[in-house]
Amino acid sequence: MSESWFIEELERRGVSRRDFLGFCGVMTSVLALPRSAGAQIAEAIETKEKPTLVWLEFQDCAGNTESFLRASRPTVADIVLDTISVDYHETIMAAAGHQAEAALAGVVEGKPGAYIAVVEGSIPTGENGAYCTIGGRSAQDIAREVCGGAAATIAIGTCAAFGGLPAAAPNPTGALSVADAVPGVKNLINLPACPANVENLVGVIVYYLTFNRFPKADRYKRPLFAYGKSIHDNCERRAHFDAGQYVEKWGDEGHRTGYCLYKMGCKGPVSYQNCPNIRWNEGTNWPIGCGHPCIGCAEPDFWDKMTPFYSHLPSFPGFGLHANVDRVGVWATAGVAAAFAAHGFVQLGKRWMYAKADESAAAKGAKAATEKKGEES
Amino acid sequence: MKITPRPTPSKEICLANVYVWEWPVRITHWLNAMAIWVLSVTGLYMGHPFLVAPGEASEHFIMGWAKLIHFYAAIVFTLSVLTRIVWMFTGNKYSSWDKFIPFRRIRSKGLWPTIKYYLFAMRLPPGFVGHNPLAGATYALLFVAFLVQICTGLAMYAASASVDSPVRFMAALLPLFGGLATAHLVHHVIMWFIWMFFVHHVYSAILMSQVEPTATLESIFSGHKFVPREDLIFSGYRFIDRETHKGG
Ligand code: HEM
Ligand code: HEM
Ligand code: SF4
Ligand code: SF4
Repeated sequence: MSESWFIEELERRGVSRRDFLGFCGVMTSVLALPRSAGAQIAEAIETKEKPTLVWLEFQDCAGNTESFLRASRPTVADIVLDTISVDYHETIMAAAGHQAEAALAGVVEGKPGAYIAVVEGSIPTGENGAYCTIGGRSAQDIAREVCGGAAATIAIGTCAAFGGLPAAAPNPTGALSVADAVPGVKNLINLPACPANVENLVGVIVYYLTFNRFPKADRYKRPLFAYGKSIHDNCERRAHFDAGQYVEKWGDEGHRTGYCLYKMGCKGPVSYQNCPNIRWNEGTNWPIGCGHPCIGCAEPDFWDKMTPFYSHLPSFPGFGLHANVDRVGVWATAGVAAAFAAHGFVQLGKRWMYAKADESAAAKGAKAATEKKGEES
Repeated sequence: MKITPRPTPSKEICLANVYVWEWPVRITHWLNAMAIWVLSVTGLYMGHPFLVAPGEASEHFIMGWAKLIHFYAAIVFTLSVLTRIVWMFTGNKYSSWDKFIPFRRIRSKGLWPTIKYYLFAMRLPPGFVGHNPLAGATYALLFVAFLVQICTGLAMYAASASVDSPVRFMAALLPLFGGLATAHLVHHVIMWFIWMFFVHHVYSAILMSQVEPTATLESIFSGHKFVPREDLIFSGYRFIDRETHKGG
């Protein structure tokens, strides 16, 4: 019976059933599900067939793969990830070359519509896709075939979800996100961040195992359980923000006290993810927790829109990299004021000229009148 | 129609008292002006929090107050702008929407002489009873800016509003402004546009009250203008150069 393999696996690794149920409870809270869903999750993990997963890497840094593998003590989450049969993953599979290609073809042709595709990295489309080819085929070609035949696709990391670093201006390789490179791809979920937090990947997979669909997502196709609240709204430094207590300089009194990083360019108010709650590296800490502002890594086009990273607002276009909109605005308003002041001076001069002209015209008129009068008399 | 020559305005011309700006126009005008000050000061603090509170966080709420005041002033501003827009369709002819967009012949023809007046090519501006067509067009731009400011503001607010907030749906506008971070940038750009308008506006109000006999500046307080009878005969739309008597 399929129930036994999972229990056996737990026992083999020295994880108690109690730990497993604890994990299911944590998952229900991460996924923001009602408590009763815990049992449902446990049952699904224990009894469902292992889903087959293929992991495609295109223009990426393998950061999400690192996150996925995270070499630390085995936890229930690891076992859940291990239960997935990863049939193709260039970085971690033993096979190479034609053998690897055959493994991928085996899944795509052998289990059409029954596997999950995970895509890491953006998909270059410039020069007919020559910037990234595997086995002589372009990344876009492969993505269209593999994602097109998948039951569901997970775009992991900001590059796959939104184009990320490769797609930052001027986007030399014509890099696209999965959604843009594979139009009409069905059942797509985006897990942006640089890299994506493995807890959220586990959450999505557990949800998919339990309910056979992806959790509810926002307009950028990000699951709401992980990307539904801003960093700022859950930040432990928020009290300092509201009070008006800010770090002004790296290492100053405020920085050492743990004040809010708003003035150092924190993008927490405009970024959505659950970092403050689940944190990183098994809950050890997170960027703001150790004194660095959020850079908004899970937002669309963050390299273009969240930069400069250490200033509060994006730079004003056309005025250099660090042009602050308010500095440009003050000068522009001063310029307008100067122009109208100049207009005022010309206006005064003109008025004086008109007055002079009127005066002489009146004098002429008076003179003519007296002359006429003289003639008459 | 024959146009009789007339001397440059002097105390001798016959002035008619016209009720031009009804009370909703005046009230929304001054509510907008005051709200813009409050919104700009609190907004600039939100962008550049220059005060840093000492001691415990729990003893202070500086940024909290700035945001709270900004949001209440924003409600006043939004309702006031919307009221004025409704009044464009229900108010008197001087406050009507077609005085903002110079698409009627009589107003589009008056546009160029007004510009010529500003460029010192004419001695006096053409005499319109309400806004002149150029002023009307700048107000139209200003109202577009107001609406963008309200939309970016509500969209930013909606992005972190609680689930039961009635304006949450406004977050759907965010892609229009290039996302949340650029919505903040747009909000600043519009603020400076409004201040550039302000400089022009106060200058022009003073200028026009110098050269028009109509008590332009006082009109936004009292509602009344004192209009040369001749301007009224041409149903309020006259754009003859009072100096040369040339024009259409
Ligand atoms: C003339 C009118 C207005 C001016 C000059 C103005 C100015 C500003 C400025 C300078 C900021 C700071 C932005 C930043 O640096 O992040 C701001 C923020 C904001 N404004 Fe306005 N604003 C105006 C109207 C409105 C309206 C009508 C709303 C509608 C609700 C609004 C809502 C907001 C919100 C939600 C923020 C963001 C606060 C935050 O970052 O938490 N504003 N405003
Ligand atoms: C930021 C502040 C201000 C804004 C946004 C603003 C905007 C406007 C608008 C939209 C109108 C057209 C009236 C309507 O049809 O609703 C107007 C008219 C007027 N405003 Fe202002 N105003 C501001 C401040 C001022 C100030 C400080 C003064 C006085 C010095 C002033 C004097 C006038 C006058 C005299 C008129 C009537 C002009 C005409 O006959 O066309 N305004 N203003
Ligand atoms: S550190 Fe960043 S996220 Fe935290 S309260 Fe300050 S601005 Fe918000
Ligand atoms: S704190 Fe911000 S930049 Fe850091 S991982 Fe979270 S979303 Fe990305």
